[in-house]
Amino acid sequence: MKHTILYLVLASALAAGLVGGCRESSAPEKDDQFEPKGMRILSLTPNVTEILFALGLGNSIVGRSNYCEFPDEAKTIPAVGDTINLNLERIISLEPTVAFIVTKRTDVVKTLDGLGIRTVALESDTMTELLETIETIGHETGRTAPAQTLIQDIRHDLDKVRRLVKDRPRPKVLFTFPMAIGSTNMMVAGRGTFVDELLSVAGAENAFPDAADWPTITPQRVVELAPDVVIVNAVGNDAAPDRLEAIRRAWTNLPSVPAVANSRVYILEDAFLTIPGPAVGLAARRLAQVIHKRGAGQPSPIPERDRP
Amino acid sequence: MKTRPLTPRRYVLALAGWVVLWLAVSATAVALGAENIWAWDSWEKTRDVLNLRLYTVLTAGVVGAALALAGLAFQALLRNPLAEPYILGVSGGAGLGVILSSLYLTAIAAPVFGFLGALVTVAVVYAVAQRRGRLEPYTLLLTGVIINAFYGAAIMLITALVSPERRGEIAYWMMGTISTFDPRWSLVAVVGGLALAAAVLFAFLAKGFNLVAVGEDTAGALGVPVDRLRLVTFVTASLVTGASVALAGPIGFVGLICPHLLRMVLGPDHRRLVPAAACFGASLLVAADLVTRLLEGISGVAPPVGVLTAMTGGPFFIYLLRTRWRRKSEIR
Repeated sequence: MKHTILYLVLASALAAGLVGGCRESSAPEKDDQFEPKGMRILSLTPNVTEILFALGLGNSIVGRSNYCEFPDEAKTIPAVGDTINLNLERIISLEPTVAFIVTKRTDVVKTLDGLGIRTVALESDTMTELLETIETIGHETGRTAPAQTLIQDIRHDLDKVRRLVKDRPRPKVLFTFPMAIGSTNMMVAGRGTFVDELLSVAGAENAFPDAADWPTITPQRVVELAPDVVIVNAVGNDAAPDRLEAIRRAWTNLPSVPAVANSRVYILEDAFLTIPGPAVGLAARRLAQVIHKRGAGQPSPIPERDRP
Repeated sequence: MKTRPLTPRRYVLALAGWVVLWLAVSATAVALGAENIWAWDSWEKTRDVLNLRLYTVLTAGVVGAALALAGLAFQALLRNPLAEPYILGVSGGAGLGVILSSLYLTAIAAPVFGFLGALVTVAVVYAVAQRRGRLEPYTLLLTGVIINAFYGAAIMLITALVSPERRGEIAYWMMGTISTFDPRWSLVAVVGGLALAAAVLFAFLAKGFNLVAVGEDTAGALGVPVDRLRLVTFVTASLVTGASVALAGPIGFVGLICPHLLRMVLGPDHRRLVPAAACFGASLLVAADLVTRLLEGISGVAPPVGVLTAMTGGPFFIYLLRTRWRRKSEIR
């Protein structure tokens, strides 16, 4: 609900600003149109959907991927599958004019292009790519000014977090996805990933030293890496009710890891931490909060701020 | 190779030799790993690392032994060289149990449900395959294949419907991996106990295996209760397989290749093969797991042990098949 309200506020603020802008300038620009006429957007990646909503284009989205569940309004848009398996018949019946997709697969782009849908393939593996993606989406939809504003907001948010943690020690942080089924090995954020960048913004050093995407490592390796803080992002709620308990229990088996010894293993359920979209500033802030917690009972030096 | 008659003395010596191999491989696997343990490391860290290694080595040992024994028994009694521990659908049943439990019931006790899934599967397969209390090998094989296909489809359906996070987890579990984050010593003890019981039982039944391998009519004529032998063997082999899958996922190939490799070297006598299979299967999986951990030290990423056994075991097996043992012993 919080999300809905914030997005509504954001959208109306944008709208108000734009309307105001229209009144002042004598020659209104094309990109001041709130709903571009005739533009029917297919958004096939969660972060693109978030960006489109942030640019006030939520009403123009006619189809989304199965995983685009944020903001809440997105859930009412028809889902058309995912990058691996697209429901082409439904896509055709939705009559989109433009499709945005974060993918490196040319066959998907070709297929959609072949259906007469202008398909824009994007990349958002790094912060720079994310900002470029926002710019491209703004350009493609004729909303360059809101896109620039969003980019500046994100830069501003990130700088703010950087300033907050500037003089603090930089602990070694391991960011992991747990493996719940059979609770085996875990996936960790390697160097060069988006999360790695966020960790650095949030005033931490990635405990995993190798340049790798999301490698799967064994607990033995965790002992060797000896992280000061462990962040377990236990997203996806289609799992057994005792899943978090299972993860928590498993970590107690590694008492020599500083994070375990000092009770600094944090099990979060924040999907937005790994979505390179408008909420990256908040993701960095959330990470900073957790990473620079002083200890039980003491307030975090980073002020709380809720997710939109 | 000329095999000498098997005296009790030789039997004990051979058994001791195999056990020493297992212990030696296990000791090496505890001593080595992704990173070295240094003298200046803190005791806490050393203890954690050794604990984890000891757990993986023990798990790999009991799982390898269980799978090799089950494979040997299935190959002998089904008289089919392609038989392996998973041929009767046990891995699918255990897999479905673990996956469903992790998704809807409990993640902590998932292996228990995996074992339950295996038990249910065994019951179903025997209910379907038996005719008036008799088990026909061909009916049994076909039933197993069909059950396997059904479970495979069910697991794929679940995989297709869950969230991407769960999908990755299921895929990883299906590859078979030993290095567990959450050590389950009691489960290792259960699987180890079952494997040991199976080894002892099969050692006593080994003569029966030999005769059945020659021909079931012959075996029957020589006084082997073939039907009872089959039932006891299949149930035992299925139980140890189910327990090992619940513990470490479906680790492929060990159960198929170990018995064949040993037959090439030792000949077809199951009295020699049973203890050899237990210890060699254990050693092989412990070694394979060590290799995955060493690879993790080099490349930073640990490949699933099941993938490694299949990828290295396959070419090696073909090499043996084509060259060294080709004329010396028949592959059965």
